[in-house]
Amino acid sequence: MSHIGSAAIRSDAWSKVTGETVYTYDYKEVGMLYGYLLRSRVAAGKLVRLDLGTARTMPGVRAVICAADVPETLAGWSMLDTPLFARDRVRYIGEPIAAIAADSLAEAHAAAETIELDIEPSAPVLDLEAACRADSPLVHPDWQDYVPADGSDFPRHGNVAAECSADPGGIDAIFDTAPLVVEDEFTSQRQYQAYLEPKSAVATYRDRRFIIHTGHQFPFNVRARVAQFMAVAPTAVRVIGHPIGGGFGGKLDYSVEPHAAALSKASGGKPVKVANHRVEDLISANCRENTIVKMRSALDKDGNILARDVDAYMDNGAYTGEMSYMASFPFHIGAINYRVGKFRARGRLVYTNTPPTGAMRGVSGPAMYAALENHMDHIAAELGADRRDYRLRHLFVNGDTLPNGQVLDNAEILKQGFDEIEKIVPWQSKPKSTKPYTGRGIGAAIWLVNPLPGSLSMKLEEDGTVSVNTAATDNGSGALAAGIPQIIAETLGIRPEQVRISDPDTDSAAWDGGSQGGRTTQTVGLAAIEGAKQVRAKALETAARLLQVEADTLTIEDGGICLAGESKSRMTLSEVAIAATFGGEPIQGSGGAALPAVPFNPGCANGLLFPYFSSPTYHVHYAEVEVNPVSGNIHVTRYVVAQDVGRVINSACISGQIQGAVAQSIGFSLYESMRFAEDGNIIESNLQFYRLPLAVDVPRVEYVVMEQENTEGPYGAKGSGEAPVLLPPAVIASAVADAIGKPIRKIPVTPEDVLELLNDKT
Amino acid sequence: MEASHSVTATITAVINGRAETFETVGLESLMDALRNRLHLNGTKEGCREGECGACTVLLDGKPINACTYIARAAEGREIETIEGLNDDLSTRIKQAIVENSGVQCGYCTPGIIVMLSALLRRIAAPDEALIREALSGNICRCTGYAQIVDAALDVIHGKAPPS
Repeated sequence: MSHIGSAAIRSDAWSKVTGETVYTYDYKEVGMLYGYLLRSRVAAGKLVRLDLGTARTMPGVRAVICAADVPETLAGWSMLDTPLFARDRVRYIGEPIAAIAADSLAEAHAAAETIELDIEPSAPVLDLEAACRADSPLVHPDWQDYVPADGSDFPRHGNVAAECSADPGGIDAIFDTAPLVVEDEFTSQRQYQAYLEPKSAVATYRDRRFIIHTGHQFPFNVRARVAQFMAVAPTAVRVIGHPIGGGFGGKLDYSVEPHAAALSKASGGKPVKVANHRVEDLISANCRENTIVKMRSALDKDGNILARDVDAYMDNGAYTGEMSYMASFPFHIGAINYRVGKFRARGRLVYTNTPPTGAMRGVSGPAMYAALENHMDHIAAELGADRRDYRLRHLFVNGDTLPNGQVLDNAEILKQGFDEIEKIVPWQSKPKSTKPYTGRGIGAAIWLVNPLPGSLSMKLEEDGTVSVNTAATDNGSGALAAGIPQIIAETLGIRPEQVRISDPDTDSAAWDGGSQGGRTTQTVGLAAIEGAKQVRAKALETAARLLQVEADTLTIEDGGICLAGESKSRMTLSEVAIAATFGGEPIQGSGGAALPAVPFNPGCANGLLFPYFSSPTYHVHYAEVEVNPVSGNIHVTRYVVAQDVGRVINSACISGQIQGAVAQSIGFSLYESMRFAEDGNIIESNLQFYRLPLAVDVPRVEYVVMEQENTEGPYGAKGSGEAPVLLPPAVIASAVADAIGKPIRKIPVTPEDVLELLNDKT
Repeated sequence: MEASHSVTATITAVINGRAETFETVGLESLMDALRNRLHLNGTKEGCREGECGACTVLLDGKPINACTYIARAAEGREIETIEGLNDDLSTRIKQAIVENSGVQCGYCTPGIIVMLSALLRRIAAPDEALIREALSGNICRCTGYAQIVDAALDVIHGKAPPS
């Protein structure tokens, strides 16, 4: 019986339903202190006085630290621009200024209230376009001194932290002479990852090393970041992972780990726990970036797109994190899905006096696809064409290329996606509801799998089960709790529940690129096959010696060694493992994998830090909405997904990824408003106002998985966790526009927006 | 925020069927008392403001957010946390959540099981709309709720075998 494609039950399910699982938020150590971060309440200004004297004398206080007490270094994932504590200026509301460790959290809070602090405020930089003008104040006056983390610099200037641009020449001439030019501007707000477990860490400084407990998506990245901030070698930091209470990209970079580490060192090596309360977590979160996307197309009289011009602004916040890479996405997505003649693009990542933005599931994709697909609607409307027909006429086919020159061998899956949706909900028939204020939208996306390498090692236990050691993590998707065990079981000839995977530990596991970009099942899955094949080969060699037959006449069926063609087992894997172990050769295996580099045109753009789409996947989504014209409320009444998955490893987990990602992205489309006041405060700063989608808000998603061979993944699988988040803003905005007869040019579309548009009689 | 300069009180309540006596300080929440004093960490902290439902427990059989309930008000009352929900109905709910893959990161899961237990004790066969309404105080950021609702429907329709 094959384990591939089954709904195998995840190994961690029972401990989660019984409440036994110990997340970092629950984790405690003997003698542990409680840490608290004093954060700036001013968005921009000079730090003129900071007096920690009284705080240090308060009851229960074991350490109080600020910038003067930690290495004078700047850290960062892609750009070394971030201090651990604000040094001479503050750059956002929520920036850590000092930290306290005390016997109780209450005592830490009380001490924080005694800290004397003077900040000379200045006008915060908040507006993305104004920040790019020459007369704007600079968020980082010293930006020219900053060093990229990997050493090689890229285009940046003033408040523009990274710029990716492409100009083939001749674009303006095409626009000047084209029979039709269509132009749009699309804005999107931030999206908070809103994992249910706020960020936390427990750190201990012991034997001149920092030991960090944290439920983190990317243990080796937090190891690197703590090492940068503490100015020590990466191996002077040990990161031990815990079950992750949700991440969605929010737990890929450091959060409170280095502060906990510094507090532990300052308090003489006692364990220190720093755990964000929800409001602290929200205001300091590395949200999906807010954007402005300006998109123009020049068309000939037949509706062919002669040229496209894209100019995008992406909010970096005060510090860069990994965002330098994201500046490449306006280039990649500006001319994707549908054929475009010539293409000019500019993506600017802009420093502002707001919390640093960062990765969230499907980085930069949802806003870019919303801009692209609603622009396509606009073009179709100008041409008097049907939205779906127009898309199909210009849709990529096999052999078409991304703007970087990357050839897409399987782009016809896009057409298949439109066909699959058509079977479920025919476009030409009326939508199910014939009520007024109903609408529908359809759109497509191409996505990628993060190509970073991964690895694992495994041993065959004396009971015939397998124990796996890896730094890969499961942020809830089931990649490690179900998918990797299924892959190992299938390769080796055992059952998935006979595979156990330990929590990550950077001291014992080899490097892994973390739970991001849909990579774990695919890349760690490839490593798992390699490791399991080694175990299988060694087990068969051992069994062959014991049974005095040739190894190639043996096979493994459900943990038993069988002669090929026979179903009766001659001995068990357990007996093989015992024989091997006590013969001095315990059976172990290991594997590593990375996705292959993709040929592309290196001259296609300047500053293209994220150069290509590894293992591209293809997707089509469809939405129906009902709009209440009195309240402005929007209800998604139907949602249909056609998703390219390569091959399904776990059918229940794929369903969970699709249902969950669409719900998350419906939130981004309709409910999750995050606005900044003029003073740089977040207006929706708690979960009462930052409204997450509830069970009553989201429909049951109908979906079709499109399976075909993929030679780059285990048993043909492609990364599948991210892509379903890409298109809800695109197709829901399109459906709302269809319902109310007015174009939608922003995300989220709130009731206020709807009422304003309905009341606008122009 | 923990209150530090307030009077302490000694509280006795029936927690998961046992009389438990514990100290509480000032306005300390029932959630903090359960987690920090009784080590019942299945009651999860998600927001401390009564929005997410991860800390849902039963107070005299009714679901409440333990984070916004003052611990000292629990004197003499009966509290059930996820750790104590081992009756046949709750066990079938857990089993159905497991089998329907209604758990991903799992952080909201105990609160959801407590809430579903309260619902199904009161109403044997709610329809999907009522299940969704009952869960609208429990935020799940991973699943999109579909597989959780499926689990509840399976329990109602007797598909989940008793363990």
